[in-house]
Amino acid sequence: MDEDELLKGEEVEKILSPHPLSFMRFQSLSIFLVIWGVLVLWLLNASEWKIYFADNFWLSLSFWGIGLLLAGIVASLITIRWSIFILYACVFASGTGFIFWLGLQGIIGIFIPVYTIFISILGFILVEFYRRSHKYYISNQRITFKGGIVTKQERTLRYDKITDINAKQGIIGQIFGFGTIIPISQSGFGLGSDKSFAGGGVALGEKKLKLFGLFGGGKEVQTPRTRSYYELHGVYPYKEVKKLVEELVQGNVITPYQQEQVEFQKEQVDIQKQMRDLLKMQSDSKVDQKGEEESSEDQKS
Amino acid sequence: MEASSIDIVVFAPLAPVLGVLLFWFIQLVFIESEKYLLSKIRPNHEPFCRFTNFLGILFQTICHALGYTVTKSGISNFHLGVDYGKVVPKKEKKGIFEWISNVFLFIGPFFIPAFLLLVCLYFLMSSGFEIVTPSQLLELKYTFGEQINTFGASLYFFANGFFNFLLNIDLLHPAHFGFLMLMVFLGMGIRPSYIGKEKREKVDMLYDLKNIKTLFLNKPLCLITLFAFAYFFFYVSFWLGQNWYVAFFIILGWLSIISLVSLIIADMILLLIKTTDEIPGGWKVFSYVTMPVSYIIARVFFFYFPTDFTKTVSILILIISTITVTYLLLKRKSNKFKTKRDIKKLKKNSKGEKDG
Repeated sequence: MDEDELLKGEEVEKILSPHPLSFMRFQSLSIFLVIWGVLVLWLLNASEWKIYFADNFWLSLSFWGIGLLLAGIVASLITIRWSIFILYACVFASGTGFIFWLGLQGIIGIFIPVYTIFISILGFILVEFYRRSHKYYISNQRITFKGGIVTKQERTLRYDKITDINAKQGIIGQIFGFGTIIPISQSGFGLGSDKSFAGGGVALGEKKLKLFGLFGGGKEVQTPRTRSYYELHGVYPYKEVKKLVEELVQGNVITPYQQEQVEFQKEQVDIQKQMRDLLKMQSDSKVDQKGEEESSEDQKS
Repeated sequence: MEASSIDIVVFAPLAPVLGVLLFWFIQLVFIESEKYLLSKIRPNHEPFCRFTNFLGILFQTICHALGYTVTKSGISNFHLGVDYGKVVPKKEKKGIFEWISNVFLFIGPFFIPAFLLLVCLYFLMSSGFEIVTPSQLLELKYTFGEQINTFGASLYFFANGFFNFLLNIDLLHPAHFGFLMLMVFLGMGIRPSYIGKEKREKVDMLYDLKNIKTLFLNKPLCLITLFAFAYFFFYVSFWLGQNWYVAFFIILGWLSIISLVSLIIADMILLLIKTTDEIPGGWKVFSYVTMPVSYIIARVFFFYFPTDFTKTVSILILIISTITVTYLLLKRKSNKFKTKRDIKKLKKNSKGEKDG
């Protein structure tokens, strides 16, 4: 955060970035690619089944592709994110494209594993860039979230606008001491929703007469969730940061007693204002009276 | 030589129980050494120790949950964290059921994770799963001597096959490598004592034994039932002419051997971590890099110059080169293994540098 971005009297307490392992959900996609690459390398070149793959280009390619796509489907179903399947499908499609374009059918047993591992390394690098693009500034007045590789994003949240703090720590977070803190604002920023839907259809009857019924139901649950740019994602040391944020929020929230005091002071100020006005009015009327008396004396003289 | 009936009726059923108990005590001793090493490396490797804690708690909670499932108590709450695990039953069952769930909690972590490895081993190991009765004992059928010898012989065959497998393990084979990783994880997770956030000095092997003793002494009826069941099982096996009784304990013995080997491998890794902690700076990385590099170089060499025992020799090269590199680094980069003359020379040099 630049000096000129700071507000009057603002002091930065902590500058944070996500922990290197906090984006494990993305890194695990690359980890799978490494494992799959090594497994395919072993199967196609060193295992007892290598004879089935030798001189059989289509079998090798199908085996590699089916493995990738199946893993994509399973991961997508578990995380409810079809982007994983699309990503793996792209890896498969581009790999196949390269094989035909460069005419690498003869060395598929080497090319496929090398390509898979190369893509996984690329994935690790991209995730690292993405992680490094996050920066969180905790000052005595607000939290500033900054991020974005190409498009820069920023969110500023004043402590008095925070209504709720959600904190979570997974198993890896518990082991390495990092966690995610989501400050939820009064406007509901920081909240997401989980939707579930169930539907079914029934067709009855044969030949001409057919009955068809459809029924379904949905449920929505509000849950603390936002993009990593708008939360303190995977911050380390988690407990220390959480305590700091909670203390800063607490310091900016008016307690009921303080509220009572403020209202009382307001009343006092109002009374004083009224008294001042009365006194002013009185003094004004006195001045007027004096003026009138003086003018009447002048007339007499 | 004839078998006496008192031997068959009274002592024979005790033989495999004693065998398993012996192995279990050896496990406890190795667990103590693991705890000691973990406590030594804790200041420098907090996340690693938290990870081993998590593994220990994971095994414990799974065993506890399994105990409640077996006794049909049900599970209403299952919590698993790095420092703490909790399993709450749906129904609080008393008597024998409560006792069985406690047995699962205290003794389960020694055997249940090892059972998973035994299943994996069944597909990887070519021999060693036979239950063998030495031929000279045919006249002593169902005696204490035959039971203990059958137990010992079967364990010997298993151990033979298992060590043969370990010495010929192919670290470039995904299944073998995965098995080794599982073994290491298992070895680091077999710690049924208290593994909490705060350090408790008194929690050791004696604490475990005290817990188990209380478990047995608080419910003597349960213990008697267990023994009665064991004797009944033995007599049924005897009556049917099938030695199922000893076979059951042999499986427990196999599990103990797997656990023991896992513990030894885990201890070796912990010892390496503790030793490399004494090497200053980033030099310690070389000890860890040496392991895969030396193994791969050895395998590539033997690929072009094939000999017998390629895998065994490669593993030996891995172990020897790691020890050598660690020793050399310790000698060069720290004061370890330095003679008085060397230390004097070092001090003289550093003094000279300061003066200069």
